[in-house]
Amino acid sequence: MDWRGLISLNAVLIFAPIRLCADAVVDGRVSLPKTHAGPVMAKRYEIVTRGGVLSTEPPLAVVYLDGSFSKSALPSIKQVVQKDLAFVPSLLPVQVGSRVEFPNLDDTYHNIFSYSPAKRFDLGRYRPEERPIPSEVFDKPGLVTLRCDIHEHMRGLILVLDTPYFVVTDAAGQFRLTGLPAGHFTLKAWVDSKTTLERSIELKNGEILHVSFP
Amino acid sequence: MISTSSPNKRVMVGFRTKLLAAMMLVVSGLAALGVYFAQRNVVANTGRDLRQKFQAELSWLHKVQELRNAALAERCRALASKPRIHAALEDNAPDLLYPSAKDELRDLMEGQEPLPAAAANSLHARFYRFLDSNGSVLSAPNPKDVGELDPAVEEQLALKKLPETQQIGYVSESANGADDSIDEVVAVPIFSTETGEVISTLVVGFKPFELESKSESAGMKSGLWVNGHLYLRSLQKSAQNDLARQVRKAIAKRDRAQNFIVQMNGTPHLLFYKRLNPNSAFPAAYEACLYPLTARIAQLHRLRWQIGSAGVLLLFGGFVASNFVAARLSKPVEQLAVDSQTARLQRKRVEAALASTSEKLQRSTRYSADASHQLKSPVTILRIGLETLLAREDLKSEVYEELSTLVHQTHRLAGVIDDLLLLSRMEAGHVEIAAEPVNLSLLIEEWLDDLSAVPDSIDVEIDKNIPPGLNVIGEKRYTSLIVQNLLENARKYNRPGGCIRVNARQNGTHILLSVGNTGRPIPPEAQPRIFDRFHRGGSGSAISGHGLGLNLARELVRLHRGDIRLASSENDWTEFEVSFPVAQSAAG
Repeated sequence: MDWRGLISLNAVLIFAPIRLCADAVVDGRVSLPKTHAGPVMAKRYEIVTRGGVLSTEPPLAVVYLDGSFSKSALPSIKQVVQKDLAFVPSLLPVQVGSRVEFPNLDDTYHNIFSYSPAKRFDLGRYRPEERPIPSEVFDKPGLVTLRCDIHEHMRGLILVLDTPYFVVTDAAGQFRLTGLPAGHFTLKAWVDSKTTLERSIELKNGEILHVSFP
Repeated sequence: MISTSSPNKRVMVGFRTKLLAAMMLVVSGLAALGVYFAQRNVVANTGRDLRQKFQAELSWLHKVQELRNAALAERCRALASKPRIHAALEDNAPDLLYPSAKDELRDLMEGQEPLPAAAANSLHARFYRFLDSNGSVLSAPNPKDVGELDPAVEEQLALKKLPETQQIGYVSESANGADDSIDEVVAVPIFSTETGEVISTLVVGFKPFELESKSESAGMKSGLWVNGHLYLRSLQKSAQNDLARQVRKAIAKRDRAQNFIVQMNGTPHLLFYKRLNPNSAFPAAYEACLYPLTARIAQLHRLRWQIGSAGVLLLFGGFVASNFVAARLSKPVEQLAVDSQTARLQRKRVEAALASTSEKLQRSTRYSADASHQLKSPVTILRIGLETLLAREDLKSEVYEELSTLVHQTHRLAGVIDDLLLLSRMEAGHVEIAAEPVNLSLLIEEWLDDLSAVPDSIDVEIDKNIPPGLNVIGEKRYTSLIVQNLLENARKYNRPGGCIRVNARQNGTHILLSVGNTGRPIPPEAQPRIFDRFHRGGSGSAISGHGLGLNLARELVRLHRGDIRLASSENDWTEFEVSFPVAQSAAG
């Protein structure tokens, strides 16, 4: 399946800059809410709303190091593809200023838009072969809900963060942040649109810190 | 009969009048009852007819509303399937809600004034608003697109909680209800296509359907009662307020009939009301329909006339019948009245006669008694004087003879007076005889002895057959008077050389005494009157007597409960027979 490749591609994109400039490492586990669905056979993540709270299903968390860091010189470019009438990945953390491309890999029209306060945009209808690939720059931190005006069930989340240090947990909630700077920080774990857990941590170069939420 | 006819007529007239009055009473009662029931029937019928009309109109209204509401629900389902609506609601972008919905709901607001006939099916809304998850109204960025509303009116659209079902409400376009414009609002829930939760509510305002537009029934007025205000355009404000109060009172009473009668412009109207939005989250609203009862009044009027004239006819018939019946019935009654009148009169007459007779009798007996007493004393004085004269020795023989005759006459006169006295006392009822045994045999013997001793007795033979010890019931002096009278008569009316026969015997409960004498018989024509007073059986004046003896004897015998009769009087023989009740042997 193509999504495996895409995930690994994302991982490359996420971790590439971090590895260059940091030494400290945080690893641990975020205890994720029990999933209501059965075992995820297709590993297809969806964005769901429960009582106005958005989260992924099955649950995933984003762990990031809070604080203000200098923006990376190169604006990073990420992708959220539309494949099989779904956003992949369904949850994408990006640093402020990042550009996200929305390639249409389906053979139908999509119309990506967002009414979220963090970023309002409407890409309009476009076909798979649309070039250049429609993209948006996310310049305000916050949660952006992606929707398709044509396919009402399609939902995606982009978590725009100030920090360049972030990682998406695996389905079990395990995470590992590498290349972090030394110092006092707040480590946060975004669980859903209403829940962000946080922990004060002291990072030292060359050390591995184990943190569990909660 | 002339004297009785006028009261009879009066009785008759009275009877007929009473009969007639009773019939009139019955007929009037029947007519009144008929009017009452007919009236009730009419009232019930009209009430039912109007209620059916009202319900038919209401059901038409409901049907139209249902159609429209179904269309609205469909619209909201469509809206809910729009990602932009969801995005606006869920992604905290209320400002983008109306623009996102605008296209979907454009046709709701489009079309300026639809034709009335099309109004029922058209979805021509006056305004629409969305409610947020708290039930508050989301204000539109551009009110022109969604129908402008006074902020106070907009507030009326808010609900405490998002409803799960469609709700119908009625809001006044001006907050204080001064304006009589009312909007019907339909709140339609918007369900999330994802979770099925209610994420918003679309509230659409329409001009309410008017019953009048369909039903053209004369004078019918329909309106809405919302929140204590009545909106009935064709009515004056004060009348509306007054009606509104009455409706509120009726609603508060929870009257099941849901109607009442009101006076409007002098005509009674039947007002029906029915809640238009039962179980709605919006304030209660009622459809109120006023139906003039003019038709009913006319019908009642007509009916009253009909029944009234039927009653009059019936009365007339009754009058005729009653006259007939009264005549038939009253004839015997009349006869009865006449009869009783006659009887009463006769009785009165008899009573009067009886009274006068008794008075006369009283007067006469009193008179004869007085007369007897007044006569007796001069006679006694005369006799004593005569006897004194007679006693003188120097009288010449012719004078002596004359005086003797005069003395005899005074004796006779005294006898007459005695008899009269006794008779008058008997007639006055003053004589009562004792009921004691009297020995009749002895009495007769004594009197026969006396008879033979009478100095001037003529020569007669006495033949007697008297068993001793015959006792009768009576009083001795009166019994003796009877016997004396009979024996004296037998001697007086005898002829020289004749005979007197006296027989006595017991016959069962009576003792029979017969006294017979020879001599001239009583002439047959005089025989029936021999017992009358002052009657002398054709005898000449030569025989002394005054015609009172037999009469006195009969009266005395009757007092003895006996009887006296002339047994025979012919061929030189006259015989009287007396019967006395016998005294029981104990006395004898």
